[in-house]
Amino acid sequence: MASLYKFPLKMHIGAPCKAIVKEGEALERGQCIAEPEGLGVKIHTSVSGTVDKITSSEIIIKAHEVQSKDYIRIKKCNTIKETCCEAGIVGAGGAGFPTYIKLDASIPDGYVIANCVECEPILGHNIAMIEQNPEVMLKGLQYAMEAVNAKNGIIAIKSKNKKSINSLTNSLSKYKNIIIKELDDIYPMGEERAIINQIFDKWLEPTQLPLEASSVVLNCETLCNITRAVEEGKPVIDKDVTVGGKLCNKKDVNIFFDVPIGTPVSEMIDRCGGIDGEYGEILLGGPYTGKAGSLDSDVVTKSLGGIVVTIPFPKYEGNVGLLVCACGANEDRLRYIASKMGAKVVEVLPCKNVENIRGVNKCKTPGKCPGQAAVILKFKKAGANRLIISNCSDCSNTVMNSAPQLGLGVYHHTDHVFRTVNHQLTRRLK
Amino acid sequence: MSISIEHIEELKKEFAVVCCRAEAGTIISASNLEDPAIFEELEDSGLLKMPADCLKIEEVLGAKLIKTIDSLTPMTPDMFESINKSDELSEPNEKAVLKYNKKAGDIIKAEDLENPMNFEKLEDSNLIKLNERVLNREEVLGKELIMDAVALTPVTGPMLKGYVEKECNEVKPDKKQSVKSSVLKIKIAEGKGIDIEIPLNIAGSFDNEYECAGEKFNADTIDAFEVNEITTNTTIQEPKKLRSLTKKYYSIKEVKFGEKTKIENGILFIREDICDDAKKGIDLVKDIKIEIITPDKYNTYSETIMDVQPIATKEKEGKIGTGVTRVLDGVVVIVTGTDENGVQIGEFGSSEGILEENIMWNRPGAPDKGEIFIKTQVTIAAGTNMERPGPYAAHKATDYITQEIRDVLKDIDDSSFEKTEEFVQYRRRGKKKIVIVKEIMGQGAMHDNLILPVEPVGVLGGKPNVDLGNVPVMLSPLEVLDGGIHALTCIGPASKECSRHYWREPLVIEAMNDEDVDLCGVLFVGSPQINSEKTYVSERLGMTVEALDVDGAIVTTEGFGNNHIDFASHIEQIGMRGIEVVGMSFCGVQGALVVGNKYMKHMVDNNKSEEGIENEVLSCNTLCKEDAIRALTMIKSALNNDEIKVPEKKWNPSIKESNLNIIEKDSGKIIDRVLNETSIPLSDKRKNKKK
Repeated sequence: MASLYKFPLKMHIGAPCKAIVKEGEALERGQCIAEPEGLGVKIHTSVSGTVDKITSSEIIIKAHEVQSKDYIRIKKCNTIKETCCEAGIVGAGGAGFPTYIKLDASIPDGYVIANCVECEPILGHNIAMIEQNPEVMLKGLQYAMEAVNAKNGIIAIKSKNKKSINSLTNSLSKYKNIIIKELDDIYPMGEERAIINQIFDKWLEPTQLPLEASSVVLNCETLCNITRAVEEGKPVIDKDVTVGGKLCNKKDVNIFFDVPIGTPVSEMIDRCGGIDGEYGEILLGGPYTGKAGSLDSDVVTKSLGGIVVTIPFPKYEGNVGLLVCACGANEDRLRYIASKMGAKVVEVLPCKNVENIRGVNKCKTPGKCPGQAAVILKFKKAGANRLIISNCSDCSNTVMNSAPQLGLGVYHHTDHVFRTVNHQLTRRLK
Repeated sequence: MSISIEHIEELKKEFAVVCCRAEAGTIISASNLEDPAIFEELEDSGLLKMPADCLKIEEVLGAKLIKTIDSLTPMTPDMFESINKSDELSEPNEKAVLKYNKKAGDIIKAEDLENPMNFEKLEDSNLIKLNERVLNREEVLGKELIMDAVALTPVTGPMLKGYVEKECNEVKPDKKQSVKSSVLKIKIAEGKGIDIEIPLNIAGSFDNEYECAGEKFNADTIDAFEVNEITTNTTIQEPKKLRSLTKKYYSIKEVKFGEKTKIENGILFIREDICDDAKKGIDLVKDIKIEIITPDKYNTYSETIMDVQPIATKEKEGKIGTGVTRVLDGVVVIVTGTDENGVQIGEFGSSEGILEENIMWNRPGAPDKGEIFIKTQVTIAAGTNMERPGPYAAHKATDYITQEIRDVLKDIDDSSFEKTEEFVQYRRRGKKKIVIVKEIMGQGAMHDNLILPVEPVGVLGGKPNVDLGNVPVMLSPLEVLDGGIHALTCIGPASKECSRHYWREPLVIEAMNDEDVDLCGVLFVGSPQINSEKTYVSERLGMTVEALDVDGAIVTTEGFGNNHIDFASHIEQIGMRGIEVVGMSFCGVQGALVVGNKYMKHMVDNNKSEEGIENEVLSCNTLCKEDAIRALTMIKSALNNDEIKVPEKKWNPSIKESNLNIIEKDSGKIIDRVLNETSIPLSDKRKNKKK
């Protein structure tokens, strides 16, 4: 077990928190160590130990050798919303949006949607959780419905996850007004607006929040955290994580429940036997939206669900064009991949459906392609020989219907990840 | 019971299940593993449930358990510290593409090769190009690279050390691509028995578009050959026409009784008193009647249908299997009968009843809907229905009538035949050589077949299969299609092959016309009654097939149960000689194989019935064109070492459909599916069975 645990002061959307402990201070697991200044939630230590160091961006805690599963409970709150704030709950699916703000609504005719889509390939901890213990999520959904006065709950899940659906169906009789909505297995089915489109057949503008469709969308693990906070007074100190890729234990996918937040990524990889030979990158998050991480400095956070060790990038020392899509890698990530391949970037173009909303790329209609031929022609004119694209399933299909015919080679930015775990590449839809 | 160390090698691809409790920390060895042979029973009895991620034996041997597991627990990855991923090369015949960026001097290992699952997409994306020059995975394994190559480079010969020398010494007579991509041509003006085979891919340079650009291959080693034209004897030869058979058809519109047997203006007259003569001299035949069944009489009662026969005759003393055969179109002879006590001949399941409820129309061995039947009803001596002479007598008496028709057919003016059909037998040397083995009944009691009578499906001159000792007899495909087999088979009606079946045998036709295989002949082998004879016969079959030097064999059988013992033994005798075998039989539910061996891995089920049973509808479950296509595709796949999936444990008709779909998708041709018993009226017999 690692001895140093790092807690970034910003594990959520909003402003960084402010440390409320001092270096050398002794701490118990569950104790609050940072409080928000502005938008944010509290941060609690997942280990008992002493504060080793505090920097502008993180608190480092030296853990005692022996750790207990027990923790300091949060104070009793009057409302579920308050409990969520107190327990430091943020969206566990990746974005890290503070949950109490999402729950700051009243939608008597609306819906709380449990996002159990887990649409990033390789990641499997949400589905595994539901399969083994659907009650925690179901209860959380009910608490969330109570918090926003919503009558109805909808569980959005891919229909391929038969076992989890069975397990949900078996438990569902105890819960009123909750239904299961089965979705297709394409990326990005788990995007909030894509889910809403699937359920209500209506596209929200990229600027609109699900609330405008009288809905609140919460990730499966976030709902579980609500249950734990409400029923057991447990703050967010543990995280479910999937570790996969080129690992010595030869298992493409390793699922870990309740990993203490702050655990070094390197330790998670060691728990899978370590890295098997040469590797390309340590991908944090899923294949589509994840980013390269560092073995030395990155740790498990409130919103980190996936750690994937990839095979090396294929070398290509020619001219490439980067097609940026809101559903996958952003320009920085594509440039990073191009540089790892040794390629020269001659043109960068966004998919025409990309809108930049407050610094973040959003797609107008996630999972529904607007046509790509025009951009492909531009790449060709710019002298690109190959493209690196970051599109969703549907848009990648469109690219495949024009780029190769024009003689352009096509990489998808997820290729090296999928090739690592023998997953189907994102290209034409079948 | 645990498995023995000797067997571990052949069982390494089977699932790993512990036979007894194994403590955490145990290093798994053979003694911890349950014998996979009993998994099916264990699963059926609910003692074992295989999880989707159950590990294979090779993956757990030597691996350390981190949990204590009780007996009969299937092993899954979560129980182990780490498992062995087999280093063995999967899909050896797929193309070799590098997965990682490699340097000159690197040795190519299995893990260095890209998973073929994404080849289609990578090719589609212009990232790789897999042409004939790209080597197979197994060809590059362990080889040393002589140049740097980046990830996703397809591996070709010139990239590897020692490739050219090695391949030049090796003779591979049937590399198809050597002709297609002919860049190198060789002329040898004189000489005998010279075998030269050079992989022509070494003569090309790299496609500049790909990663290895700039590395030109030096073709010095082949400069010694003059570039001219191909005259070596290892290249593919033209198909050789061996013989042909012409069938001329005379269309019959009406069949009547008349003063004498004659054919006039499309009307066949049958002599009114012909039955008196037909039974003369055959003691066992007590009575014989003829009924003429026109389509409006299809709903009349009939005794069990013993056989369906074409009416055909050889022109000018011609021999079966060659020359011209005259055929009456639109009319067939049907043999039916009982013994004096009214017991059906061949009562092992029988098709007596209303004709249209008991005939699966248009099967190769059945009447076609719309045809006129000349139906004999023969009464044989009491109690002789279950021994060979009884049914034989019924056939012989019927053939007397057919022969009189054949004689008048011989005299018809040549100009009155409106349709002809030509069958040509080719040998295609250089293609995969196959033989068809047809197991026919020969159990002495009543099952018998006359081999090569003088007239198509005649009696005279035919040698009873039982009298020949059931040993293999080789017929040319054309002899089969020309009525060389007169079937006296009296097994279950749905799966028995009537004489007409051989006359229109779909597998023989498909294989003979398939340009990808070299069909060398059709071997008929009986199914003797006594066990010691069974071995004798199948061993002879094995030796015969071995001597034929074929690459593959398709073994068919009719019926189910007893004959499956021979069927399994035939396949074993062929398979153990390193020859690929496809087996074809009615199985379904009722006819599930009672015996098996490790060579019975490529099986085609002829079942068509809805419930997978012998439904007593004539010819319902016999071999049809759709089955023939599946069997041929399967033998070709087996000969190409393509993966053929292991069947499911329980009968599942959708496997057949999905195989047909794959073939249709691959060939771009639609395969017509035949109808089954649900397309005809339900007989009382079947109604009662359903209840």
